[in-house]
Amino acid sequence: MKKPKLLWLQSITCNGNTHSFLNHPELFSILSHFELLYHPVLETAHSLEDLNAKRLTCDILILEGSFKKNGVKKLGIEVLDVVEYYAKEAKHIITAGTCATFGGMFKTYDPENISGFCYDEEEQTSRYEMYASKLISLPGCPIHPKWLSYVLMMLVYDKKIPLDTMHRPQELYNITVHTGCSRNEYFEWKVDTKGFGLKEGCLFYEQGCQGPYTRGSCNKILWNDVSSKTIVGTPCFGCTEPTFPKTALFSTKTNMGIPAKMPLGVPRRAYLTATGIAKSFKIKRFEERIITYED
Amino acid sequence: MKIKQLIEKIEGEAELDFTFKNGKIEDVQINFGFYRGIEDILVGKDPRDALVITPRVCGICNHAHLLASVRALENGYENSGIKVKISSKANDIREFTLACELIQNHTKWFYMTILPQLEKLLKEQSGENYALKASYLSSKITKALAIFAGQWPHSSYAVPGGVTCDPTYVDVMQAQSLIDESIRFFEQIITKVPFEEYLAQDSLNSLHEIGGDFGRVLYLMGMNNMAQMGYSYDRFIVFGTCMFSQPGKSMATTVSNVDVSYVEETLQKGSVAKAVNYKQKLYEVGPLARAMVAKEPLIKSLHKRYKDSLITRVFARVHEIALLLDYSKNLLNNLVLDEPSCTLPNEIPLTEFEGVGVVEAARGSLIHKTSVKEGKIENYEIIVPTQWNLSNGNVQEKGIASKAMIGSLTTHEAEFIFKAFDVCSVCTTQ
Repeated sequence: MKKPKLLWLQSITCNGNTHSFLNHPELFSILSHFELLYHPVLETAHSLEDLNAKRLTCDILILEGSFKKNGVKKLGIEVLDVVEYYAKEAKHIITAGTCATFGGMFKTYDPENISGFCYDEEEQTSRYEMYASKLISLPGCPIHPKWLSYVLMMLVYDKKIPLDTMHRPQELYNITVHTGCSRNEYFEWKVDTKGFGLKEGCLFYEQGCQGPYTRGSCNKILWNDVSSKTIVGTPCFGCTEPTFPKTALFSTKTNMGIPAKMPLGVPRRAYLTATGIAKSFKIKRFEERIITYED
Repeated sequence: MKIKQLIEKIEGEAELDFTFKNGKIEDVQINFGFYRGIEDILVGKDPRDALVITPRVCGICNHAHLLASVRALENGYENSGIKVKISSKANDIREFTLACELIQNHTKWFYMTILPQLEKLLKEQSGENYALKASYLSSKITKALAIFAGQWPHSSYAVPGGVTCDPTYVDVMQAQSLIDESIRFFEQIITKVPFEEYLAQDSLNSLHEIGGDFGRVLYLMGMNNMAQMGYSYDRFIVFGTCMFSQPGKSMATTVSNVDVSYVEETLQKGSVAKAVNYKQKLYEVGPLARAMVAKEPLIKSLHKRYKDSLITRVFARVHEIALLLDYSKNLLNNLVLDEPSCTLPNEIPLTEFEGVGVVEAARGSLIHKTSVKEGKIENYEIIVPTQWNLSNGNVQEKGIASKAMIGSLTTHEAEFIFKAFDVCSVCTTQ
């Protein structure tokens, strides 16, 4: 079987997706299924000059970084011009990370002119129609290396990849970051954490955690095979969402003491009812420290 | 004669404009591409949002940006009369995760830039997939980092007053075994010298015993006169209170004090990167600078013979991997968990302050300055290490890296000298 040709192109980026993927413990087994035409840091047979000449063909195009119509040039040629050429050629386009998918961090510098490849936050860009049939969105700031690798392998083995309305694989994005969080018991019983630096308590009520309404598998497929933001007591900042980055990220916006934004799909009335019941009990175990080191 | 060359795969790209005269490089202009506006993005944001925004400056040294931004906040609080006393536990965890990021960086640079580029330059290609080794070690060491910081890249686990994590000894043991695995890699693959023996070296006499991939690099560099090229001004500066030294500057044989308030940024014509100087003088930053200011015996010995040549610069960065591994192991060994992780409350009632945060990042001193008014960031400045090493200089002097490339016979040789500075394009074009 001929190996699919893989091409990784960058636009306005911090290289975070590139380095996140390099952390993959099985990186070279994954890559062995492909002919790698170009990559931002790995040695490849082709140079940027070869790419700009537009003579190569590719099967899978991975895009990193946000896009601007004019003024982002490499070797005097507009990056977007080169990207669109290969996007037309490719059988599959993967937008790797939130910048390439929705615009992300770098969009906020010039919101009028910078966007993702097919989305500008939640809106479709003018390119959407042209590429929608082959688009796979993998938002996350940065991209999770395993999410990307499993999608690549599904393409190799010709598996069906059910996508949601924004072209995100349902298997990865139809759960929330809250799913699998080590603090779930505290969420269930509405026990907030007493401050940063504690393994006890939920970060949703005061610390700004967006886990319950952010799509992603961070707490199912762990980061660096070992942890996640919420496990180490950092709030989820919603980095997979089209709205990333919001502001005042370390505090929860509330209405009359209740988080302003509800868990994904949960009606406010249902949330308030469940909260009222949970809060009417005081459960000793959730008020105590899990581990004490004193003698 | 002028030659324009695009340098790829250096965390983005840079363009070098070489001027040749009589077969030698007489001048080099270094230009970086697109400005991404992180400093502008920060304006108007909640001061703590910097902990999430600034790591996105750079995919490879994001953690250093996080720590510089948290220190800038803490310094700002202190300047406004709020006492910030972080626990030694929180401090040690921050030091540990920063050390992990540096090890990750240096290893990738060694295996993905230096080794393949050197072989290519000298036409001594071994055909080995060095990136496999880089990826092995960097995935282990970033896993150790993530045990405390949740993830790498782009963690925001350091907050004013400490860290958000609350690790157990089970976590510490897991990190310890990853550090042990990394030390084993350093012994068996990078140097083929037992780790204790490697660390005990204090002079040039034992360098011939270094084998492995580092030995190969030293051999190839030695055989090709690389101890006699790549000289810059032999002036070094360190601003961060780093693992091995206090801030200071090193010129000739003297080390003296520095004050970060004398650091000055200037715009450069034709480049989106700003230049930076200390009292009008240019200085080299990075592992070699840290070793010179700290008077690290082995590097001093190497420097005595070979000055700030290419081989000294490369050696200092690889050598720092060993120092960092040893340091991280000790940090974990001595970590006491029954101290608080964070000593400040979530909300601090401060709406106006100015703070400076300094960190020794992989490539040298990283400086963040935040000024806050009416509860929002009014101005934010980021001075990255690459600005020191890769500026085009001023009227009196050519830049640090340009100076090192001048006199080279080919653009390929100059490119290797350039890459030995561990170039980061994305940081430079924040």
